[in-house]
This record gives sequence, C-alpha cells and structure tokens, in this order.
Amino acid sequence: MWKEYSSDYRKNNPASSLSVRISAFISALLLSLLCGLFYNMWKYEVERIALEDGAWQSRLVGEIDNEALESIRNFATIKDAVINEKKSQDEETITDLYFYDYRDVLKDTPRIAELAGIPAEKTLYHHQLLAMYLIRDPQDTAPRLLFPLFILITLMASFSLVVIIHNSFAVSMNARIHQFGIFSSIGATPKQIRACLLQEAASLCALPLVTGNLLGIAGAVGLMLLTNVLLGSDIPGRHEAAPGYHPLVFLVTLLLTLATIWISAWLPARKLSRLTPLEAIRNTGELQLKRRKKSPVLSLLFGVEGELAGNALRAQRKALRTASLSLVFSFMAFTAMQCFFSLSGISTRETYFEKYQDAWDIYITLKDVQVENFPETENVRTLAGVRSAIAYQKASAKRLITEAELSEEMKSFGGFSQAPGHYVTPADGCWLVNAPLMILDDNSFSAYCEQLGIVPRLDGAVIINQIRDVTNPDFRHPVYSPYLKKDNTGEAPVSILRQSGSEELTAEVPVLAYTEQLPALREEYATLNYYELVHFLPASLWKEIKGQLGNAENEAYICVLGTENASLEELNDLQSRIGTLISPTYTVESENRIQEYETNNTQIQGMKVGFGGFCVLLAVIGIGNVFSNTLGFVRQRKREFARYMSVGLTPASLRKMFCIEALVLAGRPILVTLPLSAIGVGLMLKMSYVAPAEFLAEAPLVPIALFMLAILACVALGYSLAWRNMRKINLAEVLRDDTMM
Amino acid sequence: MEILKCQGIRKVYGTGTNQVTALDGIDLSVAKGEFVAIVGSSGSGKSTLLHILGSVDKPTAGKAIIDGTDLSGLNQTQAAIFRRRKVGLVYQFYNLIPTLTVRKNILMPLALDKKKPNQEYFEKVVHTLGISDRLDALPNQLSGGQQQRVAIARSLIYRPALLLADEPTGNLDQKNSREIMDMLKLSNRSLEQTILLITHDEKVALEAERIITIQDGRIISDDRREVKTLS
Repeated sequence: MWKEYSSDYRKNNPASSLSVRISAFISALLLSLLCGLFYNMWKYEVERIALEDGAWQSRLVGEIDNEALESIRNFATIKDAVINEKKSQDEETITDLYFYDYRDVLKDTPRIAELAGIPAEKTLYHHQLLAMYLIRDPQDTAPRLLFPLFILITLMASFSLVVIIHNSFAVSMNARIHQFGIFSSIGATPKQIRACLLQEAASLCALPLVTGNLLGIAGAVGLMLLTNVLLGSDIPGRHEAAPGYHPLVFLVTLLLTLATIWISAWLPARKLSRLTPLEAIRNTGELQLKRRKKSPVLSLLFGVEGELAGNALRAQRKALRTASLSLVFSFMAFTAMQCFFSLSGISTRETYFEKYQDAWDIYITLKDVQVENFPETENVRTLAGVRSAIAYQKASAKRLITEAELSEEMKSFGGFSQAPGHYVTPADGCWLVNAPLMILDDNSFSAYCEQLGIVPRLDGAVIINQIRDVTNPDFRHPVYSPYLKKDNTGEAPVSILRQSGSEELTAEVPVLAYTEQLPALREEYATLNYYELVHFLPASLWKEIKGQLGNAENEAYICVLGTENASLEELNDLQSRIGTLISPTYTVESENRIQEYETNNTQIQGMKVGFGGFCVLLAVIGIGNVFSNTLGFVRQRKREFARYMSVGLTPASLRKMFCIEALVLAGRPILVTLPLSAIGVGLMLKMSYVAPAEFLAEAPLVPIALFMLAILACVALGYSLAWRNMRKINLAEVLRDDTMM
Repeated sequence: MEILKCQGIRKVYGTGTNQVTALDGIDLSVAKGEFVAIVGSSGSGKSTLLHILGSVDKPTAGKAIIDGTDLSGLNQTQAAIFRRRKVGLVYQFYNLIPTLTVRKNILMPLALDKKKPNQEYFEKVVHTLGISDRLDALPNQLSGGQQQRVAIARSLIYRPALLLADEPTGNLDQKNSREIMDMLKLSNRSLEQTILLITHDEKVALEAERIITIQDGRIISDDRREVKTLS
C-alpha cells in the first residue's frame, strides 16, 4: 500500500521528486568526488614517500650475515628483506624489511631483530609511511594530520550537505502533511509514517546516488589526470600521479552518501511523523505568517503587491531556506573566487613575471654542486640563443656594523631600533647582521663589475648598499635608502665577514664597490629580514674564504637569458640543449619562464574551473529548490491567490507579485554579496598594495555579471512556470475548497 | 455492555489569560450498539470531545475508556494502533487519500496492520454502502455522497468498537445526507455498530436514539428516545 501510495505521489508530483533527486545526486557527486580525490591524494603521498625515502616499512641497522638474512626472508609475514647498499655505504649495514601486511610491522620487527641478533634500539620504522596506513608507533610523536584532516573535511562536507539538502526532502514531505494526518487518524503509527517517507526517499535517491557516486569517481580520476596535464613535469620534485580507485573507498563513499542522504530525509520525516493527527489533518499546506510583519521597502517600491510579495516570501522562508543559502553562498563564493584570482593574477604578474622578465629565461638548479667547481657555465654561455648565463651559489655569513658606518638616511628612520632581536644582535656598540653571500662564477662577477663601472677584480666583494624604509610597509612600492655611509677615509674599504653560528671565525674581504645596482638574477633580497647586507663575491674569492665561513647551500643555480623576445619553442629547445649538456654529469632541475607563465595560467584556469564548478553545483541546489517550491505553488498558494482575486486583484497585479518575489529571491545573493565583496576586495587591495584603479581595470565584472544573470534567469524561469500553472486555477472552485478545513 | 465511559473529562487550551476551557467535566457512558448524537452550537466542545474519544487529542484531566482501554495512558504509537483497531473516524470532508483507489482507501486500516481483509465482510460493507461498483475509482471521480460512503466503509472495515462521525452530512445535499444517515443507521442495526455522531443539525440528531446536548463544555441534557425503524 505504501509503495503504491508513494509511487502515485511521485508520478503526480514530478517537480518535488526532481528536487529531491537533484539534491541526492549532487550530494553523492560531491562526496564521491571528495573521497575519490582524498584517496588519490593519499595514494600520491604514499608514492611520494616511497620515491623519496623508499617503500620499506622497517629497518635493521647492524651486520647481518647471509644465513640470518635468509632466515628473515623466510619469516612468515616478511615479503622481502634487502640490504640497502646505498645507505650502508656511509653507515652500518642497513637491511630494509618489507611486509605482506603493514599491520605486522610493529609486532614482528622486534622479533625479527632478535632473530638476526640486532638490538631493539637498532630497529627503525618508516613512521611516515606507516602512518599513511593508520599504523602508529607510540614512539612516533610527530603529528600525522593527513587522515584526521581528510576525515574532518569529509564530515564537514557531509554536515554542510545535510544542512543544505534536508529542506528539499522537507518540502516534498510537508506537501503531504494533510494526507499523513489522514493516515494517522485511521491508525498509522509514527513509525509507519516515518518508514513510508524514508522508503520513498530511498527509492527516489537510489539512482541519483549511484549515478552521482560513479560520476564522482570519474571526476576524481579526471581531475588527477588534469593535474598531471597541468603540472606533470613542470613542478620540481613532483612525480606524475597515477590516478586510481579502490573498492573500499567506493564502499566508504557509498556509506557516507547513504548516511548523508538518510539523515537529510530522516530529519523532516521524524518531524512529520511526530505531528498529532489533529495538527496534521488541519494543515492545509497553505503558507502562513506566524506574526504580522512589515515589508516597508517592498511596499514603498511596489505598493500593495510589494507588501503581499514580502509577506509571501516571509511565509515561505523555511521552504526557501535551501534556495536562499545556496544562491547566496554560490554567488558569494563565485565573486570571491573571481576577485581573488584577479588580484592574485595582478600580483603574481607584477612581482614575478614582469619583475623577472629580463632576468631569466631558463633557470637551472644544480644539486650537490659547488659553484667554484662547476666548469660548465662557459659551455652554456656559448650555446646558440644564449644572451647571458650566470652561475651562482648562496651562502650565509654575518657582519658587524658600527654606528659610524650607518648612513644618515638609515639613522633617520631609527637605525636598528626597530630591528627584531632574531635578525639583528647588538654586540659591544655594534650590531651583528646577516650578510647573505651571492657567489657568482668569475666571468659573471667580472661582467657585473663592468656593469657597475669598476675595474673587474676577483679578490673582493660588491656590497648592495640599500635598505628598505622599515617604516613603510608597502612591499609593492618599497622605498630604499643607502644602508652604509660611503667610506671617505681614502683607505681601501674591507668587509669582515663572520661565520654564522661561530662569529669568531672571520674572513676579511676587500670591498670593490657599494652599489644599489643588482645583477639580473631571479632572486629577492632582504624580503623578510630588511637588515640583511648582501655581498656579491666571485667564486675564486669564495674558494679561498669558504674554509672560514662555510654555510654554503648544497645547490647552485644557472640563470640563463635567451635571445630577446624568444618564443616558447625557442626556450624549450634551449632548455633541452642545456639539459643535454649538463644532466649527464649533474642532477638538475630546470624551469622555463614562458612555460612557467603558461603553466601558472593553466593552473589558475584549472582552479577557476574546479572552484567555479563547485559554485555552479551549489547554485544548482538552490535553483532546484526554487523550482520545487514554485512548481508546488498551485497546491500551496492557490487559495491565497484566489482570495486576492476575489477582492479584486487583477492577473497583472498577481504577475507583478510573482516578479517581485523572483526579484527578491535572485536579488538577495547580489545584495548580500556585493557590499561584502567590496569590503573584502578593499581589504585585499590594502593588504597587497595594489591600486584600486589597477584592480578595477581588470576586475572580473563580466563573469560575475554572467553568473548573476544566470541566477536571475533561472529564478525567473521557475516563477514564470509557476505563473503559467497558477493562471489555470478556477476561482470559484478554489474558494469553495477554502471551507474544507 | 458499556463500550464507552468518560469520567470528568476536562480539556483546557492555552495558558494564563489565553486559557480556554473546551470541555469542563464530561461524564458519559455509552452501551454497545447505541446510536448517540451529540449536539451543540459551534464552539460548544463537541468536536474536542470527539477528538479525545478518537485518541487524536488528550484530555487535560479525567478519563476516557473505550472497550476497556484508558485513552489517557496511550503514547503516540499505542494511540495510532488503538485508532486503527478500536475506532472508526468519519469526517465532514471525507479525508480520503486522493492518490489511492476506493478499494485501497477502504482497506487501509487493515493494510496498516498487514492483515488480509475478510472478503465476505468487505463485500457486505461495500454492497450495503452502495459503492461496490466504484471500487477501482479514485476519490476525485466520486460525488461527495459517494466519498462519504467510502469514508464510512473505511471506518467500518476493522469492525471498530466505536464509530465516531463528525458532521458526516455537513458537506452534503439533502438527498445525500438522508442516504448517509440511513447507512449509519443500517450499520448500527445490522452490524450492531456503536455510533457517536456529532452534529449541529437537529434534524440529523433526531435520527439517533439518544441525544446529548453540550454547551460551554458541559453536558446539559441527555435524552433517550424512540426512533423510526428503517423502511
């Protein structure tokens, strides 16, 4: 009987069923997408750990003979035991253990160590990898937040969906309160009514749930593939993701989706089943206002129709809550995203791409290379299409600065009085500051000297004699002043550099020049610590003093500038030729400016599409709710309209009421979002020091307007369909029916 | 045999200054097979009494016992099962499920109990009520009188201890009202069905063998009388 009742209802109320189906589909799609992405992120992380540190699960450190190794291999839970030749070179012998089942690692490793005669303290566990399988060693105190984060985000998503979609179920269920009152009056128990509603929800949601889940999986795999296309080989240190899926993830997603939809359906079903037959049977489904409300703005703008529309909207407030929330959130999220990406685009372009436009085209990172021992720079420089190539390495040192050395400008903004203690340390009337060392290959250093107009020498340093006005926080338009006073004593100036951490170790280097001119490198100086005194040195000098100073980084770089206005193809070709030249001998990572620019643009487009898709989905939930509500108007509001008509409201006035309601519903997201966005953008502009005019010139007005119009059009369509249905009502019939309850 | 007993039933709605006493100490006893009409003006409390007897509402004080069951002690589920098995409710506006056929509407109380109908009794009821040829129709394909007959058939299908009818002829024309009253009397006589009819129409009330008048929530008269037998 219930089945027949439900199927009849579904047949006769397709709009209401459609809204429930859309809600279920979107919930399943989003949750499945989320779980699929989480699974792939987890998988990627496991692969990354295996690539970087190896896929071993535990290690034995100590001598193991072949016989013991064979015994370990024969251990029931051991898949393989391998001597790690690479790691064993520097230290003791290291044996990597691989288990069939990760759950056996903590239990069996101590037993295996004992078998091999290795003391317990010489066993190591791959905590990072084990944590990915939720196996935690009590000894591992590091926070492993990946899983808790996944679970938290998923639960939050599920909770948000319940909040958003339960109203769709409520609208469909509340439409039949009167009927359930009849059922109740002839003896249906609350449990039977609840079961009927939940069964109905289950049959409505079964197909959307499965479809949504499957599309979510496809979406997750698709997004991973897209990520590969966008980021594939361009991000240093990134490996290509192999998208995948696991039946267990499907099961968990299915259960989570079921739970989300079930709770969403259960909440209104429970409420409805708890109504007494009297309450239910007296419910006409008509919209009621609990107390008198005024709509002064609508009354003022649209007269009596405005007031009536305002009251009707208030009476529908609960039914339209999903629509209002979804539309406001979607429009707000869309606007925020567009503004954020525009602003971020302007910022990245100015601070990165435009700033370094003439500094580099190809950028090579050389692993484990000392610049003074790197002879290939000349070969790179002589490659066709290379305008310049500078090899350099960074090192850190300290330097003492006396009061007398400070420039007048530096003193005028307080000297070191505002310097944080971890950047500048006072010492006997002096200040110890960081002195980053930029070690250029000799030829590049000589060229730099020529650029500065001084005689090239390889036994001295050039000091960047500038400091940002620390009282001016505008990082985009910094004001620089001389840091140190020019030495007017006539003596050859020297800079005494000190080793970081062991300041008693010093190296005295002649100062060839104090300058504000920088060599064209893709580097930023004194960004966090404004008080750094940057020194440029030739590699030959570094070779002599590195014993005293040390602290050179393990990586060296080559900054290559190609021909003017080189195309992407030319840069790709040059990049490949440089790779052929260097990579057989050195471990290198290489970047290409135009490629990076394009990748950055594609990434932003990808993010925009992904996030925009989410906003559209959110809007679809809202629009679905608007449609389910407006298509239920004939049942819900025919008496209201019949009464209006009976006192002389013309069809044109009723249509005007509909238009006002649609306008308010679609206009609310705009009215809420625009001022908030203006405030948000204002704050962002202030924080990023982008001029308002500059932002306005590139403000994403068109996409925001299109999104706004799409919402407006959909809501208008929903109301126009409702109006078409309402026009068919028979005044006499409806008014007669009015006496029913 | 006493089928219904009310002792000091009181029903108060609202609180404080908004308090309204709908029933104020109703004592009532109805024997099995009686046909009782409760009359009173609008707002006298007769519908409240019917709702309490139909276990769709609860008294503020007092007891209502139907067929040995004290209604005041029932929870929501027990009350629903009680309604299903012990009382049949007939409303002025039929309250049929519009999407179910006449047959399904009538059999609904049994279906809720997952019980199979007694085909012979079903036939008898629908035949007696004159709706045997409309069993596959939907409620909106029937006239008002026919819909009320379906509602009566539904209320009788479980052979309830008490049939409660709230203005069953209030929405019908004279001819249909006459027919419905005849049906109720017939079921009272032939099925020994106890009936409690609520009406404000004196002519309808005169069809009952006992007329109880309620005013301001109190019984002001209880008259037994001889009625004409059905022709």
